[in-house]
Amino acid sequence: NPIVLDLAYNMIDFPSLENRM
Amino acid sequence: AIEDLFTSLNKFIERSDYEQAVKVAEQVLSAAPGDEDALRCKIVALIKDDNIDKALEVIQSSQKLPSDLSFSKAYCLYRLNKLDEALESLKSQESNTATMLLESQILYRLGRMDSCVEVYQKLQNLSIDSLEINFVAALVGAGRSSE
Ligand SMILES: [K+]
Repeated sequence: NPIVLDLAYNMIDFPSLENRM
Repeated sequence: AIEDLFTSLNKFIERSDYEQAVKVAEQVLSAAPGDEDALRCKIVALIKDDNIDKALEVIQSSQKLPSDLSFSKAYCLYRLNKLDEALESLKSQESNTATMLLESQILYRLGRMDSCVEVYQKLQNLSIDSLEINFVAALVGAGRSSE
């Protein structure tokens, strides 16, 4: 079977907390 | 203070210590119920910690879900192999690179290779890292490897 990468995973990211600290 | 908790939360995120990040996010949520940044951090940290069941549980128990968490919800459903539900959840979202990548991966798992190839064709011009790898897999799956 061909390799399939979970590229959608890379689209999930933490919000910027810059203004909360 | 909340600011100190967020400083600590940020530190754990930078260290990729997702288990601790979840704990601090929960502390923020105890002090400030419904804080959207803390909720986002908790859910993303659970996903990055590979605790997909728990992430979905948190998402589904959230009364008012910030709209950017709809993608996380669809992603968790995908990871739990609830593919039809995941696809359904994506339909209600505005289409963007992230939703299209996830859609292509769901279609691949469903064996809907021609639809999958179609999505990759739309994404082709966006220079997404490693997209080619999945595109080729879909073409092979569709019996169109000569393309
Ligand atoms: K795929």
